[in-house]
Amino acid sequence: MAPLLELDSITKQFPGVLANDHISLTLEHGEIHALLGENGAGKTTLMNILYGLYHPDEGKILVRGKEVRISSPDQAIHLGIGMVHQHFMLIPPFTVTENVMLGEEKLKNGVFLDRAAVAERIRAISEQYGLQVDPELRIRDLSVGAQQRVEIVKILYRQADILILDEPTAVLTPEEVEDLFRIIRGLVKRGVSIIFISHKLKEVMAIADRITVLRGGRVVGTTRPAETNSAALARMMVGREVILTVDKKPAEPGDVVLDVENLQVLNDRKQVAVDGVSFQVRAGEILGIAGVQGNGQTELVEALTGLRGITGGRTRILGKETTKATPRQILETGVAHVPEDRQRDGLVLSFPVADNLVLNTYYLPPIATGIVMHRGPILAEAEELVERFDIRTPSVEVPAANLSGGNQQKVIVAREFSRPIKLLIASQPTRGLDVGSIEYIHRQLVERRDNGCAVLLVSPELDEIMSLSDRIAVMYRGKIMDILPAEKATREQVGLLMAGVSA
Amino acid sequence: MRTRVLTIATLLALFALVAVVACAPAPTPAPTSAPPTKAAVSALKVALVTDIGGIDDKSFNTTAWKGVQDAQAKLGIQAKYLQSKQQTDYDKNIQEFVQEGYPMIVTVGFLLGPATAKGALANPKVNFAIVDYTYPDCAPGAKVGVDCGSDKPIPNVRGLAFQTDQAAFLAGYLAAGMSKSGKVGTFGGLQIPTVTIFMQGFQAGVQYYDTQHKANVQVLGWDTKANKGLFTSTFTDPDKGRTSAQSLIDEGADVILPVAGLTGNGAFTAAKSAGNVYAIGVDTDQCVSVPDACSVLLTSVQKNMDVAVFDTIKSVQDGTFKGGVNYVGTLANNGVGLAPFHDLDSKIPADLKKELDSVKADLISGKVTTGVAALK
Amino acid sequence: MANTVNAEELHAERPRAKPSGSRTAAWRQALSVLVIPVLALISALILSAFFILASDVSVLSAYAAFFSNPVHALALSWTVIADSYRALFVGALGDPGQIVAAIQLYITTGQTQPLILAFYPFTESLVTSTPYIFAGLAVAVGFKCNLFNIGAEGQIFIGAIVAAFVGYSFTGLPWIVHMPLTFIAGAAGGAIWGGIPGWLKAKTGAHEVINTMMMNYVAFRLADYLLNGPMKRGGPTGFIPISRDIEPSAYFPQFFPAPIRLHMGFIVALLVAAAVYWFLWKTTLGFEIRTVGANARAAQYAGVSVTRNYIVAMALSGALAAMAGAGEVMGVNHNLANAFSPGYGFDSIALALLGGSHPVGVVLAALLFGTLRNGATKMQSLAGIPIDIISVVQAFVIMFVAAPAIIRWIYRLRSEGGVQVVFTRGWGG
Repeated sequence: MAPLLELDSITKQFPGVLANDHISLTLEHGEIHALLGENGAGKTTLMNILYGLYHPDEGKILVRGKEVRISSPDQAIHLGIGMVHQHFMLIPPFTVTENVMLGEEKLKNGVFLDRAAVAERIRAISEQYGLQVDPELRIRDLSVGAQQRVEIVKILYRQADILILDEPTAVLTPEEVEDLFRIIRGLVKRGVSIIFISHKLKEVMAIADRITVLRGGRVVGTTRPAETNSAALARMMVGREVILTVDKKPAEPGDVVLDVENLQVLNDRKQVAVDGVSFQVRAGEILGIAGVQGNGQTELVEALTGLRGITGGRTRILGKETTKATPRQILETGVAHVPEDRQRDGLVLSFPVADNLVLNTYYLPPIATGIVMHRGPILAEAEELVERFDIRTPSVEVPAANLSGGNQQKVIVAREFSRPIKLLIASQPTRGLDVGSIEYIHRQLVERRDNGCAVLLVSPELDEIMSLSDRIAVMYRGKIMDILPAEKATREQVGLLMAGVSA
Repeated sequence: MRTRVLTIATLLALFALVAVVACAPAPTPAPTSAPPTKAAVSALKVALVTDIGGIDDKSFNTTAWKGVQDAQAKLGIQAKYLQSKQQTDYDKNIQEFVQEGYPMIVTVGFLLGPATAKGALANPKVNFAIVDYTYPDCAPGAKVGVDCGSDKPIPNVRGLAFQTDQAAFLAGYLAAGMSKSGKVGTFGGLQIPTVTIFMQGFQAGVQYYDTQHKANVQVLGWDTKANKGLFTSTFTDPDKGRTSAQSLIDEGADVILPVAGLTGNGAFTAAKSAGNVYAIGVDTDQCVSVPDACSVLLTSVQKNMDVAVFDTIKSVQDGTFKGGVNYVGTLANNGVGLAPFHDLDSKIPADLKKELDSVKADLISGKVTTGVAALK
Repeated sequence: MANTVNAEELHAERPRAKPSGSRTAAWRQALSVLVIPVLALISALILSAFFILASDVSVLSAYAAFFSNPVHALALSWTVIADSYRALFVGALGDPGQIVAAIQLYITTGQTQPLILAFYPFTESLVTSTPYIFAGLAVAVGFKCNLFNIGAEGQIFIGAIVAAFVGYSFTGLPWIVHMPLTFIAGAAGGAIWGGIPGWLKAKTGAHEVINTMMMNYVAFRLADYLLNGPMKRGGPTGFIPISRDIEPSAYFPQFFPAPIRLHMGFIVALLVAAAVYWFLWKTTLGFEIRTVGANARAAQYAGVSVTRNYIVAMALSGALAAMAGAGEVMGVNHNLANAFSPGYGFDSIALALLGGSHPVGVVLAALLFGTLRNGATKMQSLAGIPIDIISVVQAFVIMFVAAPAIIRWIYRLRSEGGVQVVFTRGWGG
């Protein structure tokens, strides 16, 4: 029997980039085939070809043994291929039913939308695959995980049996990831075949039947979880030995740099998000703040960096009162901030890389004298940072939007770390990054610490907190449950605190 | 961004190219495509420059153009008009016609006052006529070229002015005679002389009726003594006219005289929906121009600009054109007057009609005056 | 790097495209950029031709009798369209034959008058473009800060009011003082007028679209009031709603003898465009404005005061718009009347979009608008085409440039379109 899907020697060239270089791969019936690779390895390009968004320059696609030409997502769907994008294609104010029927509206009497019939089928599909999707709810009221399940329903509704999941876990909480995996296994049992795109080794090892690793647009190899291990996969992905554990010396804490006292902060809906939090961060130590996302970490960081008003308590940096300081005043006391959402907060995507590299120093000499900015020094500075931080970009003049996620993060790191800083506030610094980039960022954080910088690390990834922090604070519903020395903390202990259970 | 710049550069270049190609069949001289149906080469060429109301304003631009068209039909002249979209167009459009060699240019409205003076002084060989404006237009102590166009008559310009107060006086008399509530109303577009002259005449007519009949009919919306009244600030917004008329009706007025171009037409709508309320048209016979309004229109205060324009063109063709002297339309020379009563003819008492005739005769003879200074 | 010509062409417009080193590639890129606007203008002119035909009574009656004499109807259509566009060109840029003849005459006899008349149409196009440049820059600066300044028209009025007032009420000043004073005062008036909605947005979050729009009405009625009251020429006894003429010392000098009205305002407009470019791209203040416009959150993160920049950008936008009004008063009208703007402020929104909110683009777009608008007078005079047709041409050009997909579809241009860009944005490889 021919494989369900076969890609044969697919090649795709973009100006300056050979995105896919003779990639071949097969998908068998009822298989979970993971496509593993760093950002920029060509995974998404390949899938967009399969989904009819790009045309390959060379190579062919066979579905159920027959060669096909896919020139639109519509055609892809008709061939039974459905894709869940990283960024969902849903309309927030519409209900689940409306979103699902969009583009394939079912009519009653030839005029009216037959919502009831569609809703009925959605319920049936949801039941069958254990998706727990309520057709009557509006998308904007759903959690991210539930939205993702709606995307899956959309595809199943169209009777596709090849499901492409593009980085499906990037936006999910650990719990939601577990749910997703359960669903994926259920789908496979009922005859759906899955291409699972990821750069996370653990996930791939956990879920895949077969793993194909891409690097630089080429297939490096195909293997099975049983025949390999994380280290070997990482080596295939990155092309060199990767240190997966963080190697660091014991901390040598110095003076208090950040002093937070009984801090109270409101969220956008004017509810208390940070509720009487107190802690200190000393020079030369990393204080990790663990916690499930949405427990006040975002508001805490925004308050510390001057982006959000403080309604109670006080903050001091290097002994200087900063409770009411502006973001710029705080920056100027020597604070670096790696924001949680780099595309939204940390970069101006339409600006050149060079401008992004001077985003918060644009007004200082030698870049500016008075109000006049000098392009020469900007470019010189940018070139130097690109060199030093190994930012992969065709030139410093291209818009930041054109860089891969990892390189965008490097732009932020380069900008923040290159200044003389006393306090580093890093919020989810490795979110959505690949192995190589994570390793790099982790090393940078530890290096800063060793140079006497105080580091406040906020991350929902327990592994990251555990391996980097010298002390661990756990946040739950706006309060700090406890602060533990890292060497004494266990995963279980921290996990319980994250769930709001005091030890 | 560079692409955008290139894009537009191309548009410009392309525009030039296309036009050059379009030009190819007949490069020189600039062809004057006269309407093919119209008359001989030696025919008199007359140009009209509208103000920003445009040729379709159903008011003085339209009426002035009608005068030109009448001349076209009856005198065999050639005619053309240019609409002005903005202030800078006034000079430009006059200049356009001067360059095209028109010996006679008619401009419409006081807004063209300064531009016409300038054009006429710069081109003494071209004859001008300006509707609703006269020279000298300088108030005592005003600075020529700054406050006004000219402190003396301009030898090649004929101003066309209208003693509208006389016709409005008759309308006021009629309105007072028809009012049951004892209140009549009026409103204007802008507080400018060509508008207020209607309102002054109207009020004077009402007051004359009061003294003749020992009545006490009041005028709402205008008071000559205080020089104050109700104005809509626009000549082009019928809805504003409707609300202004409605407020007069709410105060008890049952005859309305709107002096506001298209804005005024809204008053007819208001009168219709109120029932029992009459309106009076202005400028032209509005029962003809706005047939919908006939059921409420007592009459219209006609300002026969078409007649004035026609006569002026005729004088140019005859060689009797005299610049520096203004034409003043009066009841006597039929330059102003009341339109027929049309649909409401039967509602107007015969006595009142008779009285109107005698008042008109008295106005012409000078036995009765409107209180508005005679135009020169 | 390019393996085939085909691939290169297909991706020439991708934002990811690296500036190519090879000259042929650069040319090909330039050509592909030209295709859309060229076709857009052609399409606009073709579409507008139908409107021209529909506006011509003789054509309509010829079509009424189409079945009895189809040749006549078609021939007449062609004549009308050709005459119209010929007139548009002659009116906008001058008659080439007349220009050549005038130059020859000047060389042989030294006569200048024919020369002046021959170049008059072209200079009028520049005169008409001048307020468009200022107003277009105003809206563009707003766009750069992600602000939608719908109030340019009102700011233009304020600029004109202030310039007229300063222009006529200060007497006896030397022009070197009076002229700049008048212009700057006008601009300052606009800065305040534009700054108010900016301030309201910064302090209360009130949306600038609503407030600038409302400020328009205030400005219009203020002009009404002033022109019928305090600023009416001849004082209280004066009788037309036009202001006094400004002092000659406040004029923007005109460069050539009458009837050419080309004045210094045009040069000032170009200089201001250059200054705006410098300001936005070469100064820290401009950098802040652009940062706020591109990503307000990132700007705040970088220590830039978002609210302050809203105020600065709106004030600057208002000042630029006001320059359009002041320029018209000082260069052409020399007084203030209500009808001085045919809606420059509203046209300039489309114009700024067409110009990509870039000063160079705005200047070119303004020249295009001014040229079309000026040529329209001749089109009306020679071919009897209503002046409003030119708004239709402008609208079509903008629509086609803004929606290149239509053009691609009409002319069956190959493209993989911008959809890809949207789908592939994100973190994946």
